[in-house]
Amino acid sequence: MKFEDAIEKSIKAFLDGKLPEELVKVQDGEILYTPEYMDEMAEDFADLDLEDEVEEDV
Amino acid sequence: MFDTRDLGPVPGENYTADTRNYPWHRPPEIDTYDGTVDYVIDRMRDEQTAEIVYSLMEIGRPLTNIVAGLMMQGIGRGKFQIDMAVLAAGPVYRYLQMLADSSNIKYEDGLNKKRIPITATTLKMVMGIIDDEEAPEEPVEAATAPVGGLMGSPSPEETTEAPADVQAAMLGMTDEEEEV
Repeated sequence: MKFEDAIEKSIKAFLDGKLPEELVKVQDGEILYTPEYMDEMAEDFADLDLEDEVEEDV
Repeated sequence: MFDTRDLGPVPGENYTADTRNYPWHRPPEIDTYDGTVDYVIDRMRDEQTAEIVYSLMEIGRPLTNIVAGLMMQGIGRGKFQIDMAVLAAGPVYRYLQMLADSSNIKYEDGLNKKRIPITATTLKMVMGIIDDEEAPEEPVEAATAPVGGLMGSPSPEETTEAPADVQAAMLGMTDEEEEV
């Protein structure tokens, strides 16, 4: 498997909501960048864009 | 003839080189998942890196390729290990998606690549080789010359045949020459 293929596989797993379980255990079960956190971040991004558009319209 | 170089490095060969020659030979600077993602996201906030990332997205480079490139940079600089780069690729990809969406860039995700099987025909197409036997015969349309106008051929009405004596003069068959 090439590096690019491994990256692609990892991305697909993340988008399916999977986390590297063993790594989470090693890092005391605390990980910030979970799929849920990234979804929230995406919503914040979208809200920021909307605010910018409203300001431009005004 | 048997060549030992085909087998790869000789066992223990790594001990013959200075292990601090390259950044990736040393222990990584970042060994946490969140730290790795933080580092890559911070890198994307750098003006030069951001320009490259946005440009790559705009020209339709798949996001997976861009993520792989960013991760390779980090590995090359000894910031994190390959394993960590692979594990942290998901959040970085998601962040790139957000950037593209917020900038209204139509991106190629690169996740649904279909492998094109390599055949003799596809290779020939890539290399620009066309066999006469295999080339499909396309019906050739009869060329139609424009009629009339300055550059067009004369229409049947315009065509006038020169008289026989004029034709003979043009061919140099005048009476004088014939006499000579």
